[in-house]
Amino acid sequence: MDLSFVVLQFLTGLAYASSLFLLAVGLSLIFGALGIVNFAHGSFYMLGAYLLYWVVRGDPEGLWWGLVVVAALGFVIGAATERLLLRPVYGRPEHYQILLTYALLLVIEDGVKLLFGSAYKSLGPPAALAYPVWIAGAPFPAYYFVQIALALAVAGALWFFLQRTRSGALVRAATQDREMLEALGVNVPRLLTVVFAMGIALAALGGAATLPMQTVSPGIAVEAVISAFIVVVVGGLGSVWGALLGAFLIGEIQAFGVLVLPEFSIAFVYLLMVVVLLVRPWGLLGRPPAVRT
Amino acid sequence: MKTNAWILAVLALLLSAPWWLPDYGLEVAIQALILALFATAFNLVFAETGLLSFGHAAFFGAGAYTVALLMQRAGWPYLLTLPAAVLVAGLLALVIGFFSVRTSRIYFTMLTLAFAQLVWAVVHKWYAFTGGDNGITGLHPGALWGDARALYYLALLLFALGFYLVRALHNSPFGYALRAIRDNPARAEAVGLSPFGYLLAAFTLSGALAGAAGFLQVAWQRSAFPDFLYWTKSAEAIIAAILGGAQALFGPALGSLVFVELGAFVQSRTEYWPLVLGLVLLALVLFLPQGLAGLGGGGRARG
Repeated sequence: MDLSFVVLQFLTGLAYASSLFLLAVGLSLIFGALGIVNFAHGSFYMLGAYLLYWVVRGDPEGLWWGLVVVAALGFVIGAATERLLLRPVYGRPEHYQILLTYALLLVIEDGVKLLFGSAYKSLGPPAALAYPVWIAGAPFPAYYFVQIALALAVAGALWFFLQRTRSGALVRAATQDREMLEALGVNVPRLLTVVFAMGIALAALGGAATLPMQTVSPGIAVEAVISAFIVVVVGGLGSVWGALLGAFLIGEIQAFGVLVLPEFSIAFVYLLMVVVLLVRPWGLLGRPPAVRT
Repeated sequence: MKTNAWILAVLALLLSAPWWLPDYGLEVAIQALILALFATAFNLVFAETGLLSFGHAAFFGAGAYTVALLMQRAGWPYLLTLPAAVLVAGLLALVIGFFSVRTSRIYFTMLTLAFAQLVWAVVHKWYAFTGGDNGITGLHPGALWGDARALYYLALLLFALGFYLVRALHNSPFGYALRAIRDNPARAEAVGLSPFGYLLAAFTLSGALAGAAGFLQVAWQRSAFPDFLYWTKSAEAIIAAILGGAQALFGPALGSLVFVELGAFVQSRTEYWPLVLGLVLLALVLFLPQGLAGLGGGGRARG
């Protein structure tokens, strides 16, 4: 195994990790602030890919503005979903929330089939990125760098939002103590709507960003949501940096696991999830639950 | 007396079903019984301990693959594989439960999910042993069990036994101990109940029963597929249990009947069955929190 091959494999893992991060970070934010395990998260990711295909009408050159439109649509859809469906079940036992988001998964999967047909959809990268970059004598898709850059940009923007803005501080506070925040006069319901909408916008963006490299079908949702669970469980439920670390680990394990035991690379990933849950249930970068929970 | 009359009527209906149901209806009824057993098994843990397992597909699938492998590789007759299926599923539940029941709430759900997906990943890819994603097909459960009527009665018998077991456990000191641990773990421990032992026992029994459901599934489909172990299979049991009402002993069975019958009905008219199911579930969660069993006035909730 020579060095250029390792580098290439590493970059491939990084590209995969990038889309995992966009997919999972919203799930983590939503769990952190709303306490809801969103089984429909992968469905919004899948929906994002279809929305991109729809808004650019199959034209790869529309990718850039298409991504912006999809993220905006994701935000609106997320806000509406939170208002109409999730708000009534806050405070109810967890299994109702799980059932509700699972129902949403079913509705979105079939809704997409109904609207877009069940055929696979694909969209090549824009012409400027349709060529491979040569790294150490081996071809590497240029578009992967876009995905990596996008994930890093989102991570940076999230860091700025959460650490450097007032709204971000409120979101962080909501993950710690919602009641206290309410007592301080913060409009918590509106805050939760925004967090959920942001999470959905990121998932939709993540799904849309993979479309130039992958064909999508409605069925990718059930796989995507499990991948997102693995990432946030490994990284720590509710933690943005955990999602980044988790996505990185899973992406690279997949990329290099294929070399060691090609058939069981996915099993390694589940094994990591099991081990983390046993040794450090709150995840690598998560906080142990407070005593009161 | 009125309750007894109802029970007799339901029993008569169930026992006579193969003689008046059309062929297709009978196939659907068998599927409903299998899911009913699976969901009742799942609910043993969910209702009595409050722990939501998202990994019961692993036990269902372990039972199914035990049957399929023993029949295909060792030439065992179908019926003889039942104890093995229950045993293997129970052992797997013992192992997974040993690690999982100590954790609480969302971590328990995630850990059972992770374990089950790990088992699925191995079964899905281990072509040499499990046939990988092709599954194990072309199994012949013998002349008698190839007959839908015989299989129906077998499924009915196993479901009845499973239901009886869950009911007996519910009313036993064991059941009271489980609910004490569910409602107030600290106090339960203070009076000398060890949560770990009780939870592990309940989880193991539940897994073994789910294995019996997997045993039936093999005869119904004459095959075993990795899908039996995928997380959406676990979701089916959860849906059926909550749809019917997890707090009623018969809730999961009722939910399974509605789930499977509604599915068959909708599927004969449109391919968009998941969409209909999703909308039904949304309505259920938003407007009918007690499940279908809650429609009967709510007074029947278990105590």
